[in-house]
Amino acid sequence: MATTEMSVVAHRQARAPFHFNSAAHLIRIGREKASNLSELLSALKVCPDESIFQHTFQTLREHHFIREGFSNDFAHWAFAACNEVGLAERLAGIDIREFMSIAALRQRLVDIVESYLQQNPRGRDRAAFEPFYFSASEVIVIPTPFVARDLAEFAEGVRHVSLTSIHFHFIDARLRLRLNSNDFSLWLEHELDLGRLAERINRIDIYTSTLDDVRRAILRFVQTALVR
Amino acid sequence: MSDGKSTQDAAVTNSLPAELGAVAAPGAPLVERRQRPRPKISTTPPAPPPPPRLADYAPIIGQPELDDLCFLAQQLRGKTVKMVNSTAMGGGVAEMLNHLVPLMNELEVATKWEVITGGDDFFEVTKGFHNALHGGEYAITQAVKDIFLMYTEQNRQRMEFSEDVLVMHDPQPAALIRSKQPDRGRWVWRCHIDLSHPNPEVWGFLRPFVDQYDAAVFSSPAFSRQLAIPQYLFYPCIDPLSEKNKDLEESAVQKVCDDFGIDRSRPMVTQISRFDRLKDPVGVIRAYKLARKYVDCQLVLAGGGATDDPEGAAVLQEVMEEADDDPDIIILNLPPWSAIEINALQRASTLIVQKSLKEGFGLTVTEGLWKGKPVIAGAVGGIPTQVIHKLTGVLVHSVEGCAYQIRYLLTHRDYAAQLGRHGREHVKENFLMTTNVKRWLLLFQVLLGTTKPHPPEAG
Repeated sequence: MATTEMSVVAHRQARAPFHFNSAAHLIRIGREKASNLSELLSALKVCPDESIFQHTFQTLREHHFIREGFSNDFAHWAFAACNEVGLAERLAGIDIREFMSIAALRQRLVDIVESYLQQNPRGRDRAAFEPFYFSASEVIVIPTPFVARDLAEFAEGVRHVSLTSIHFHFIDARLRLRLNSNDFSLWLEHELDLGRLAERINRIDIYTSTLDDVRRAILRFVQTALVR
Repeated sequence: MSDGKSTQDAAVTNSLPAELGAVAAPGAPLVERRQRPRPKISTTPPAPPPPPRLADYAPIIGQPELDDLCFLAQQLRGKTVKMVNSTAMGGGVAEMLNHLVPLMNELEVATKWEVITGGDDFFEVTKGFHNALHGGEYAITQAVKDIFLMYTEQNRQRMEFSEDVLVMHDPQPAALIRSKQPDRGRWVWRCHIDLSHPNPEVWGFLRPFVDQYDAAVFSSPAFSRQLAIPQYLFYPCIDPLSEKNKDLEESAVQKVCDDFGIDRSRPMVTQISRFDRLKDPVGVIRAYKLARKYVDCQLVLAGGGATDDPEGAAVLQEVMEEADDDPDIIILNLPPWSAIEINALQRASTLIVQKSLKEGFGLTVTEGLWKGKPVIAGAVGGIPTQVIHKLTGVLVHSVEGCAYQIRYLLTHRDYAAQLGRHGREHVKENFLMTTNVKRWLLLFQVLLGTTKPHPPEAG
């Protein structure tokens, strides 16, 4: 099955083209601010969805060049400003790929902080070294000139678009699709019938890779498919 | 200096003994004390370079990023923008506008820059406001308010406000909002200063003006206030093509080091800052002395402010005393036109230190990070936004912490290099002029309704 799939792949035309988009982000300063963990918990419950998005999905793009030790802003603050290593580890363990909605992600964050404070009540009101300021991302989608009608054009697009575009299609997409997948994998599977390739790409680990690594890995997998 | 500029012997340097000797610290590596050449410092400003063109940024940020800017600008064609501040030269705001406005116009978003006028009394008042908004004491009398409002009225009569977006920078032109028409023009207040602990009387006077704007922009969430209007975050930025940040030929870096008597075969730790107690130059020397017990290095303290500022001169004297004629401490009181020299010093450095005790955003940190250098910095002001501890640099809270990090980074070069690489990427992503152009374009689009933000979960 796999061999057959790969041997004809180079010439296969997609049923619908893939339009590469990018995104630009304007950061709005939020009303919520936390000076200790108790305040963080309260703010997590009421802040806008765009704030949860900014401090989890969006911060990964802003720090895309770091391979280790950076997962989301809440984990970083718990570690660097509150010196709560146990909480930081649990927050950093959140994998945003598992969440198809902001509501579910917010609930996970709340659950982790709540449970940590139940076990560590002294951490509740201890002043952080610096406050956590909630902000929110306003996203504007930007089209790019790259359109793929087959796998070769797809590789060309992935090679040339900005890292913001890679983030938009590979990471942000999960919230839009409400699927445990991404725009690239969905298109490869549905429009080119390349299920295995789609799956390989979907398994790239964004937490141990930079976005440049993600780009390289996608290209490597596509190249392998093209030359077979 | 280079480029035919005239030079003079050291404005400031340590007075060095001619004889050879050994550095005294017990257990320190034996380093020969030698005669260091007196620094050659330029006495005339160079001609300003032409402003960069948009295409010049492509090798730095990549063509896709430039394409994004062009797309965003395209949707604003036909719209007009006016930036207003209080000075055409000197200071960070004027420097930023000098780069921003030509880029906006090249993107065909017609952008004007106007400077408000006023007498000495007006600028005395606004300087008082500036200090008071930073938390200083200030007696805001009726006479003070009258002066501020009188010059505001004069400027309102003189200027036109017909643009689609009007951006007022800092408190000086803030009251021009009185010219806002209900049915035209969107007004933005760009506050470059830290408003976290303002003098309540001065803020109480200015706030009713600020509340009439359509949006406010701050450099850090920590610098903002609770306002009824939307507030946006624009980090301060550096221009990678400016004299202070552009790439330099190795020969140019070497020339500056030769002029300043720096031995490039040995590690070089540098702090670039005004001679100001809040930058803690004395603390940096103490950290260097502690580190020197274990590692060999030179310390360069370079900056200005000691010639025209009595307090700066006093701080420089304290620095000289703490340096105690150590030939490996190079103290440079540079004139304001030393951008290339500062650029070269940063590029020649093994480590950059910014051990501030209080700081605004800390653009010297941004400059050091942009040059791919490992940065050791005080965890104050906007520095933690730039230096993510152990990821894009290291944060310190004491002389001892600074000394330890100097020792550690000088002996763990791979780790130091990684910090430098990450630091540069962090600046590229967040703190470059082109990123700021993008933020302005986005803000104009949101304010003018030419596009609507895309909710994260929208399909």
